[in-house]
Amino acid sequence: MLNFPAWKVILILIVLVWGALMAIPNAFTDGFLGVEPREPQSDAPQDIAAYEAQMDAAEESWWPSFLPTNKVNLGLDLQGGVYLLTQIDPAEVAANRLETLQTDIVQALNRDPLIQRDVPEQQGTTLPIQLRNAEDMEEALRRLRRINPTIGATGSDRVLSIEQVGPQRIMVSVGENAQQALAADAQGTMITIIRRRLDPDGVSEVSITPQGDTRIVIEAPGEADPRRIKNILGQAGRLTFNMANMDQSAVNAAQATRPPPGFELLVDEFGRPMLVNRTPVVTGSDIASASQGRNPDDNSPAVDFRLNGTGAERFGQTTANNRGQIFAIVLDGTIMSAPRINEPIWGGNVQITGQFTLEEAQDLADIIEAGELPAKLNFIEERTVGPGLGADSIAAGTNASLIGLALVGVFMIIAYGLIGSFAVGSLLANIVLILGALSGLGATLTLPGIAGIVLTIGMAVDANVIVFERIREEQQNGRSPTTAVIAGYERALSTILDANITTFIAAAILYLLGSGPVKGFAVTLAIGIVTSVFTAFVVTRWFTAMWLRLARPRKLSI
Amino acid sequence: MLLQYWPNSTNVRFMSFRLPALLLSAILIAASFALIFTKGMNFGIDFAGGSVIEIEQPEGVQEEDVREVMGGLGLGEVGVNAARGTGVEAIEVIVIRFATQPAEPGMDQDTAQQQANDRVRAALNEAFPGLNVRSSAAVGPKVSGELLRSGLMALAVALALMMAYISVRFQWKYALGAVAALFHDVIITMGMFSLTQFEFNLSTIAALLTIVGYSMNDTVIVFDRVREEARKYKKMEPDKVIDLAVNQTLSRTLLTSGTTLLALFSIYLFGGTVLSGMSFALIFGVIIGTYSSVFVASSVLLLLGLDQGEKQRREVEGFQGI
Repeated sequence: MLNFPAWKVILILIVLVWGALMAIPNAFTDGFLGVEPREPQSDAPQDIAAYEAQMDAAEESWWPSFLPTNKVNLGLDLQGGVYLLTQIDPAEVAANRLETLQTDIVQALNRDPLIQRDVPEQQGTTLPIQLRNAEDMEEALRRLRRINPTIGATGSDRVLSIEQVGPQRIMVSVGENAQQALAADAQGTMITIIRRRLDPDGVSEVSITPQGDTRIVIEAPGEADPRRIKNILGQAGRLTFNMANMDQSAVNAAQATRPPPGFELLVDEFGRPMLVNRTPVVTGSDIASASQGRNPDDNSPAVDFRLNGTGAERFGQTTANNRGQIFAIVLDGTIMSAPRINEPIWGGNVQITGQFTLEEAQDLADIIEAGELPAKLNFIEERTVGPGLGADSIAAGTNASLIGLALVGVFMIIAYGLIGSFAVGSLLANIVLILGALSGLGATLTLPGIAGIVLTIGMAVDANVIVFERIREEQQNGRSPTTAVIAGYERALSTILDANITTFIAAAILYLLGSGPVKGFAVTLAIGIVTSVFTAFVVTRWFTAMWLRLARPRKLSI
Repeated sequence: MLLQYWPNSTNVRFMSFRLPALLLSAILIAASFALIFTKGMNFGIDFAGGSVIEIEQPEGVQEEDVREVMGGLGLGEVGVNAARGTGVEAIEVIVIRFATQPAEPGMDQDTAQQQANDRVRAALNEAFPGLNVRSSAAVGPKVSGELLRSGLMALAVALALMMAYISVRFQWKYALGAVAALFHDVIITMGMFSLTQFEFNLSTIAALLTIVGYSMNDTVIVFDRVREEARKYKKMEPDKVIDLAVNQTLSRTLLTSGTTLLALFSIYLFGGTVLSGMSFALIFGVIIGTYSSVFVASSVLLLLGLDQGEKQRREVEGFQGI
């Protein structure tokens, strides 16, 4: 137990030096370490100045590149930022999918020989089709089944369930299971689109992660107001150009009864109702790029976009054929703008003008450029920590840790004297190892995580105390210092392991079932348990062994 | 040093107090249940849903001004309280709370809650330009329900796993004693939260789980000794064996609880208000856990009958080979 051959000593030193190396970057600024600093948090002059100072420092840094530069990741509660939990509604994904499939359905039924039916009206996730002739039933079912797309990679499940519900009636719908599968499919697409919208330049630290099959977590460090993110993500971003009809008598007739088949009644920016053709001329997939621009007339902010080849061709042709008519630019069921076609628009460059602020125009351009979300995102949980509170929490956590450490250290030395100071030494090693492990693993430190470290400081001495108490007993039973220490460590081992495994179980469960800050607590607690068993059982024992060999005390004063 | 003056062998007859102690614990548990079911817990928004927004108090703005702004938003009952802010420098803050919002048709409540939060922010920004929002949170009822379920689930799973671990490492009688002590600690800590109406939230669940781990830790150390002494003194009466083990581990129990409490008090006093609920739970739990490992776990073990000598399972020798 007190034999430390060279290889053991080297192993211990490697662990300690490794921990120290991993922990050291936390004491320095990014610039000192030669790391490119984080983007400035705002356009405020002092933030920009601080950023530039760090950039300059980074260039002059002498920090060797082979040494680690990773710091502990701070959780949102410490660095400030926005956490948003969003929910995808499977029924909405399904309804949108069914709507796009309608084109295929119409085409299938229109093929020669034409199958006569009423114009179907989609209700949510169901689409009833009323055939004119009962004898077409078999052929209609056959054609619909052939266009029914598969879901997922296996290809055994289908999106639509197609059932005959009467002699002339077919019910096309998306079933419960298919809805779930579609939502799970949509999740990945949505994460990509969300990233493109929030981080068009790929520079911000926003993190977008799936949770379960229908949820997405968005974490944006440094963001202070959740409303901007909610705005950018709150709209599906379904942009279409549709031909429209403002003819007063047609609009009045539609308002009195209902719009003619294939049209819907929408309102433009001035509140004027118009009939909009449901079949779009141009959709989001025809748009090659979008950017914030300026209205040439009054220099107000606008959104410019460019159509791709086929889109530009189709749009040019349509505008050439419909001079004097109106077309509507529709975003998520609202008309953004409804200009009259004075001359054909070739080349595919279009501008939306309106009452935009510069930021709104930029956000809208990002939304259009990123593409359409398969369904609207519903926000169901928000947690925001401002930068002020984050900084305060770091300060409070650091204070509490240092005071806790000092109190425990003084207490141990008062209680056990010299051998107690060995325990304090290994306690310091313990904290360095925890910081090193957190930095090395890329784990996230939260405020409860700091509490976990402080708690570990208190509990870490436990293993030492168990050993010391055993040594004390063995000495009272008349053993010499060396044999008492050996017996003490031997008999304490199984107790220490038993006691710490139980706490570790609790930490592991917290990690698996907890979220956010609580998870951070579990991580530090679990790491702390491992490092404190190591430091108490190996490092303190090593110190004690060296001391016994060098000082050869007659009696241990504990 | 000072510990040299701690008596070499204390000889407190702990087990002679076992009946009064168990009675006291039973009364505390009954009282806790009564409190939990009548007075209830002061669930934070994690578990009850709703919103909390904390703003830095703007120059010359009083609680009433904020209340007036909030009154015009139609959010039902809104709590507006001035408070001492978190952190080192005591900044004056105003905390705004409101409960789950009813949903308009075609919208779920969780979304309605988010929109209410955004409305409040917009109104506050308009009324007090340059306002500094320190934190804001909005949790819908669906999410809070799930958080509560998974929190309680975590506790249940933890207790079950502890019991399994102790059953493997010790005997089932020890396991029952240990788990009785854990239930005791969790229920009485919850009772304390009900009594003081401290906010019960996700961090509290984390604290309860830590208490479970800590109390278990304490119990294991006592039981380890009980097992050892029971093998050594086959003829000694069971209550004497337990007393001996508890006395032998007493200085360790008190020392570890002492250092842990020192660390926890420093979080409670200097760690800011965000951590105060969690550290309060931990402080209370450590004290109750230390008590229960001696008086509840050991008493239950004694009631179930302590096996001495050959009847002990042999495979429990444990980790000696490591």
